[in-house]
Amino acid sequence: MSYFLEQVLNGLSYGLVLSLIAAGFAIVFTSTGVLNFAHGSIVLLGAYLVAVLHEGIGFWPAVLVGLAGAALVGVSINAVLVRNLADKGPDTAAILMLGVDIVLLTELTRRIGNQVLTLGAPWGASVVRLGDISLPTGRVLAAGVTVVAFAGLWYLFSRTDLGVGMRAAAADGPTASLMGIRLSRTAATGWALAGVLAAVAGVFLTSFPAPGVAPTVALSALAAIPAWVLGGFDSVPGAVVGGLVIGLTSALVTGYEAQLEPFLGTGFGEVAPYVVMIVVLLVRPSGLLGSKEAVRV
Amino acid sequence: MPPPLLSVEHLDVVYDGTITALSDVSLTVEPGQVVAVLGSNGAGKTSLLRAVSRSLQPYGGTVTGGAVRFAGQDLAGTDAADVVRRGLVQVPEGRRIFRDLTVAENLRAGGYTVRDARARAQARDRVFDLFPILAERRDQPGGLLSGGQQQMLAMARALMVSPQLLLLDEPSLGLAPLLVDQIGEIVTEINKQGTAVLLIEQNAVMGLRVADAAYVLETGRVTAAGTSAELSASDEVRERYLGVAAPVVETETVRGEPAIATAQPPQQLRVEGLTVRFGGITALSEVSFTVEPGTVHALIGPNGAGKSTLVNVLGGAYRATEGSVHYGDAELTALRSDKVAGLGVARTFQNISLALEDTVEDNLLVGRHRLMHRGLLPGALKLPGARREERAHRETVAGIAELLGIAHLLRTPVHTLAYGDRKRVEMGRALAARPSLLLLDEPVAGMTHGESQDMADTIRQVRRDLGLSIVLVEHDMPFVMGLAEQVTVLDFGKKIAEGTPAQVQRDPEVLRAYLGASAAGDAAA
Repeated sequence: MSYFLEQVLNGLSYGLVLSLIAAGFAIVFTSTGVLNFAHGSIVLLGAYLVAVLHEGIGFWPAVLVGLAGAALVGVSINAVLVRNLADKGPDTAAILMLGVDIVLLTELTRRIGNQVLTLGAPWGASVVRLGDISLPTGRVLAAGVTVVAFAGLWYLFSRTDLGVGMRAAAADGPTASLMGIRLSRTAATGWALAGVLAAVAGVFLTSFPAPGVAPTVALSALAAIPAWVLGGFDSVPGAVVGGLVIGLTSALVTGYEAQLEPFLGTGFGEVAPYVVMIVVLLVRPSGLLGSKEAVRV
Repeated sequence: MPPPLLSVEHLDVVYDGTITALSDVSLTVEPGQVVAVLGSNGAGKTSLLRAVSRSLQPYGGTVTGGAVRFAGQDLAGTDAADVVRRGLVQVPEGRRIFRDLTVAENLRAGGYTVRDARARAQARDRVFDLFPILAERRDQPGGLLSGGQQQMLAMARALMVSPQLLLLDEPSLGLAPLLVDQIGEIVTEINKQGTAVLLIEQNAVMGLRVADAAYVLETGRVTAAGTSAELSASDEVRERYLGVAAPVVETETVRGEPAIATAQPPQQLRVEGLTVRFGGITALSEVSFTVEPGTVHALIGPNGAGKSTLVNVLGGAYRATEGSVHYGDAELTALRSDKVAGLGVARTFQNISLALEDTVEDNLLVGRHRLMHRGLLPGALKLPGARREERAHRETVAGIAELLGIAHLLRTPVHTLAYGDRKRVEMGRALAARPSLLLLDEPVAGMTHGESQDMADTIRQVRRDLGLSIVLVEHDMPFVMGLAEQVTVLDFGKKIAEGTPAQVQRDPEVLRAYLGASAAGDAAA
């Protein structure tokens, strides 16, 4: 029983980290209509900055630089590349982002090389024990920080002018600009937010129980894509739900791999999120909480 | 003398670099005035507002000549967000409220540019004063409001910045007469509190009642201007909107064999008790009518009457909630749209939907799809049978192009064609399927008077030569008067009148639907 609980708690905490990344996908998509395939590299970038800077300036200042750096790169991608596309279609922007991803990832891989950089997180490899359940401190912290981050997002989007303006701009850009809302500003804010969330996720994805910062982190960050799609492309609450579902699924499938092995074989934990995603999309094509697209004939 | 609050001087607006929306339009709004711009669909009214509010760009429009001055300052080089900060706000057509945001959040977005908390609270109080219902429903999502309430919210949202000039785009669109009157009173009240209003209206009576001065816009040009009293007195306005003076042409009946036979002879179309609901909204309610084989039957009604919904049910795109549609013995309401096409029913679309990069010929060939028998492989390998078939299809399509007067354009890509020609291609594609029933969804929307007369001739020609039934959906009354044998009038999803064009034209219900309650009273008197 305690093994089961441990898997569930691990899954929830991992799921919350995924939902930070998924929320970044959703925010960029709603604020600029871009499918940000470079998001995984931005997650890696945030973690990389912390890893190389923590010895010089200390862990917490390095985290601040990591968050700011990831936000800045996001804002610049939008300002320099996305906004200047001759063809504003979402497919062109998606291809552009694939290109940006390759450039970013190649450069980070070149810098990191074969090493696995340590993050220098002060919680190290410590473990929190609750009765006979033990969880890595990093995972507990991740859950706490994520909950705080989502509370912050909720406050932003429902209680501040900027957030309400962003939602208005996402719902109907041309109409929002008739209210004096500057779409360039709401878009930049969206990219910055997504960058910050990505860097936070990057820190938790690379600290214990994960080994450290390596280029593969960018790939594992893409595990958030099923979470994003499953929650609904344009919904932040959907990203949270999607993240939790995917986190739980992969933790349980991996945790009970020995029992599942006879009929599923090994390594099914990596596939399970996509299976869940496909099943959900078969039933609800616009995701769990996404808005339906209505087309007038 | 101080400059007028708004002055539009010799304005030209072009979309996509080629389509002229406005040419040489001038008008002025003095402080504290209500000015109405009247005109039918496609006259350029919305383009005018967009040019003033600097929001043409997302729609592909540009100002190519003339100037817009607000409080004496040229607005060239400013953007939509700038003009809001200067005190000029537009309420877009179709309300465009943020449906997922609550009423309070919609208002908050409206007051986005107001940084001073006290000014904002004052504006909100004033808005809640004007629209008590919004205060009551402040925490509900905007999408749950009724049409009239959504219009109020759209206006309230704009008033949050306490503008000097409010631009209203078709505030009465799709609203019941009672609500239209109420919106009119609200415009007057807003104006009394010191805001000038530039109002765009299709509903001429409502526009003229609330305005001090008015302009009539027709295909991008100002064709009449004056005080509201002057324009109301002119027969011209009444004629323009009701076609009272349009000659009723004796509709000819088809004699003898049509030149190009339809695949099957036309059947009787029977619509019985048709009701369509979307969520809580009833778009059509118990509509019944019959289209006799080989006749032209017009469905008319103001915007939002349910005409397009009806065409979409007939064409198989929408499902009926209740009631049935029979074409001959087959029940259309039970079939998918491809099966409906198989019965010989073809349609055109209100917003032209053609493959723009392809030639006219290829677009027309798409309509032949149903009649192509050779498969993909023989076609790809250009086997003799497939080539023979393709030649035959090209010949048929050329014949149709000839009939529609677009034969010389067959090799031309559609995106280079003028609007009127695109409408013909759209009709040609429907005809290429050799239908026995043709559904035309607003074939002359956005056309000039001359173009729409040409289109009427073409439609007559098509019926004469092809011997099919035509259901014609239009809101332009004069157009259908000389064309249809039978007219069914819809308003708010209900059938309000039926008969020959001459009968319908005199029906008080129809007058009321088109011109408002007071006009119907005048006509009856």
